[in-house]
Amino acid sequence: MKNLVHLSILIIFVFWLGGCDQKPAIEPSGKTIKVGIIAPFSGSDHSKGKEGLKGMETAMQLQPYLQNGDHIELVAENDKDDPALTVKLLKKLVKEVKVSAIITFSSTSPVLAMAKVADEYRTPILAALATHPDTTKHNGFISQLCFDDDFQGTVAALFVRDDLLIDKVAVFSNPGSVYSSHLAAQFESKFKSIGGEVTDTVSLTEETGDLSKVIKSVHDNTPELFYLPISAKDLVRVVREVRKLDWKPKMMGSDGLISTMLAQHNNEIDLVDGMLATDFFAHGMPLTPFGKRARGKYLEKYTSTRTLYAALGIEGYAILLNAMNRCSDPADRECINKQIRSTTNFTGMIGNITIGPNGKAQRPLTINSIQGGRSKFIFKVY
Amino acid sequence: MTEYVTSALFVHTEDTTHLIKPLQNNSLGTQITSVAFDTLTQAPQEHLEGVAHVVVAGPLDVIKEILRLAMKHQFSIGIIPTKKQKHLIKFYDLPKNPSAAVELALRQDGQTMDLILCNGKIMLFKAAIGRIPFLDTPAKASWIQILLNSLRKFVSFRLYTFKFGTAGKQEIDTAASGCMILQHFRGSFASRLISHDHSLTDGMASLVISAPISIIAYVKLLRQALRSSTRFKKLPSSIGYIKSPQIDIEPETRLEVFIDDQHATHTPLHCEAIAKAVHVNVGKNLRVESSSAKASKEKIDIKNLPREKELFKAKKQRRIPFFSYASDERFHDLFPALREDARLNNIYLVLMVLSTMLATVGLYLSSASVIIGAMLLAPLMAPIVSLSMGILRGNIELFKDSIGKIVLGILIALLSSALITLLFPHKPITDEMLARLNPTLLDLAVAIISGIAAAYSKSFKEIIQSLAGVAIAVALVPPLAVAGIGIGRWDFQFFYQAFLLFSTNLVGIIISATFTFRVLGYSAAVRSRRSLAVVFIFLVLISIPLYLTYSRIVEDRVFEKSWQQERFLVNEKYLIIVKASIIWRGDKRIILMDILAREPLTREDLTAFKRKIQANFSKKLIIRLNTFHIP
Repeated sequence: MKNLVHLSILIIFVFWLGGCDQKPAIEPSGKTIKVGIIAPFSGSDHSKGKEGLKGMETAMQLQPYLQNGDHIELVAENDKDDPALTVKLLKKLVKEVKVSAIITFSSTSPVLAMAKVADEYRTPILAALATHPDTTKHNGFISQLCFDDDFQGTVAALFVRDDLLIDKVAVFSNPGSVYSSHLAAQFESKFKSIGGEVTDTVSLTEETGDLSKVIKSVHDNTPELFYLPISAKDLVRVVREVRKLDWKPKMMGSDGLISTMLAQHNNEIDLVDGMLATDFFAHGMPLTPFGKRARGKYLEKYTSTRTLYAALGIEGYAILLNAMNRCSDPADRECINKQIRSTTNFTGMIGNITIGPNGKAQRPLTINSIQGGRSKFIFKVY
Repeated sequence: MTEYVTSALFVHTEDTTHLIKPLQNNSLGTQITSVAFDTLTQAPQEHLEGVAHVVVAGPLDVIKEILRLAMKHQFSIGIIPTKKQKHLIKFYDLPKNPSAAVELALRQDGQTMDLILCNGKIMLFKAAIGRIPFLDTPAKASWIQILLNSLRKFVSFRLYTFKFGTAGKQEIDTAASGCMILQHFRGSFASRLISHDHSLTDGMASLVISAPISIIAYVKLLRQALRSSTRFKKLPSSIGYIKSPQIDIEPETRLEVFIDDQHATHTPLHCEAIAKAVHVNVGKNLRVESSSAKASKEKIDIKNLPREKELFKAKKQRRIPFFSYASDERFHDLFPALREDARLNNIYLVLMVLSTMLATVGLYLSSASVIIGAMLLAPLMAPIVSLSMGILRGNIELFKDSIGKIVLGILIALLSSALITLLFPHKPITDEMLARLNPTLLDLAVAIISGIAAAYSKSFKEIIQSLAGVAIAVALVPPLAVAGIGIGRWDFQFFYQAFLLFSTNLVGIIISATFTFRVLGYSAAVRSRRSLAVVFIFLVLISIPLYLTYSRIVEDRVFEKSWQQERFLVNEKYLIIVKASIIWRGDKRIILMDILAREPLTREDLTAFKRKIQANFSKKLIIRLNTFHIP
């Protein structure tokens, strides 16, 4: 009998301890707050939109309600990465759907188009992938979830020079892409400023004529590394020509390149084995507790490869909710925008994210490489 | 030329009727009459009248009954074994092939053989009494059955007192776990333990007696038997051997007797060899062996069995211990030395003061060689080992003397080093001191291993010189000196951390040395359980801070390693972390970093760097940098 009493006390104590850790359940208020998503869901960049949305839906499962019980409804629009269409959809989401905030997975050009009219619509826009530094310039409503290209280009140049100890590089860029040309210019400028030599600057477009001739000419100047802030499709073109010469210079790409290669050019992944790239995440990196929970939830629903777009979707949703929760009226656009821009040390998937009043994010950048058909973490840069 | 019998009676059972036709159609000129075993036993006289040769095929009890009838009616026997009777085939060297077996069974040149009767029952292969794990397992058993059966026997492995009697009127009182009567060495694992001078024609029965001093000793014996491809030149320890025409076995209690793997009778057991009892057609090899066997005399080899004092001990002890006892010789060597080690004397006091002084100065000099010299000079290990034996044997005198000597040694060491520290005007904290301020579970592991080594070295004169190595490994005096330095500095944390390391060593050595002496057989059990319990409580209490320190160190090492993959961009300056290490000052965590940078770092850069670290790592880190410039 005495033992039974002791056992009962122990069980009650254990349950009481367990209960201490549980947060009270949120009671739904019945009110819905709409969040818009503008992203390419078709075309060559469709994976950005589709994977980003998967990430947001995953985060939504973790946090379906705001702390006041309001429910979040996602309204997704396909801009096909076309700047004109992006602006139209922004207008639609703000004026007709009346969203309180927007997350975009579009690339730099469409987001720069939005930047011109963002202040007019006075709706907070969180750009998940647009790394161009001008994204946040000249407007008070677009904030970046990602690091910007000034940081990315500088880090890439310093890494090549100081970590890889390489002093001769060739830089490739696509003049048709604001993102590509800006990043290439940033890299080139920084690399030269620290005593590096840029042997060739190659402009690469669909119309670039005899690429093999171009690569041959680059080969003659003996660069040790190619800096390639270009699309996955262009990368494959370049690498094919390089391999024809039985030449294996080091290569370094920029954010999203490894993800796109893995998602859309997996059959040619061996071509780029050993390639380095700056990025947001890497396979096998230590995750934060939030990252582990989100990853677990994602894997419950999706069996496909986990991409950086999905991870950014998870982080974007969580930051947005965090900002809304800090507003007395979570649907208040002005307040949400202010709170997004005062996000401090928010725990993301792999580390802390801070978004300053200028809309720029401070977050760790990773340097990864493709090894054996997988992305491998090399360094983290704060 | 081989001659065959002209006529024979074939005795069969239901299972062997298929052999009637091949036998009747034999081409050897033998006329076969067949009879079922059951029919034969109803009227043996009638069926066996005038029969000179019987061929039998059937189970072992049928063959034994035919052998019994053969003794009475004087006919010779041919045996046709079934495929499953592997033991029988091996024992009589019979052919496996049925037609060859028929050919052998019908020959006229049967071998005269002895038969052993135990309590009137025929024994062909072996009779087992008591517990002889693995050796007495049934021939037909699978490996799993053998293993389970033997393990069960090990659980209740004990010694019985036995009285053995021989035809020569010898009476032997001893203790044994069990014994086994054998007729012949063929097909018996137990017979590997004795010399193969017994045969089927010597008119003798062989008795193997097992009296292991411990389970370990028995396992060693089995291993010897398994590995031995040739016969033993002398009997292995724990084994006794008697060869006599008559053997009487009378244990203290009634034990079941298993004859040829069947429960047949119980003790007391009287076994006698009936010389030249039957004629059996056996294989060529056995025939050669039997014809070359010499007549032998009664043989008794019981020097390995417990007698007199040992028998009395065995009677008291009952259960066979897991570990063997140490020999009397080893006891006599060790105890005076341990008693001497436990006694307080001037040499100990002087050495204790000198070794502590040397260790303290060595610590201040941060000189590893001076500290090692102090370790070798320190006499503290000896009373600790004596204390372990005192706990094991429950020897109060040894226990009290050792404790007193150790406590006094500790006090002298603390006092000496504290005094030296007070006398020193300059009191730096050296790396050698720091190394003794973070004891972990690994230090406990070192102490435990050292304790085992200390007890083991002390037990054997031949390796006593290894104690110096043990003293260095466990290093008792330097932590005590550091603790004394802590007292001299009035720094409790300093004292506590160093004394924790010393206590870890002390408790680890006591426990492991106690159990090592136990394993080496210096006592049947740990006698002073209360003392051991107190030491265990200390062990548990010490393990808590050790575990916490250990996990903190592991966490720090992981953290340090992860920093090798970290880079920082601070005000456009790229910082490469070459090396990072964590050190603790009290409760403050300091990260020491070697970094590579292209430009010199300004105060502003350092502030920004610190801010970045604090923003990205929740732990409050104190940062210390060492910058190397990239030209």
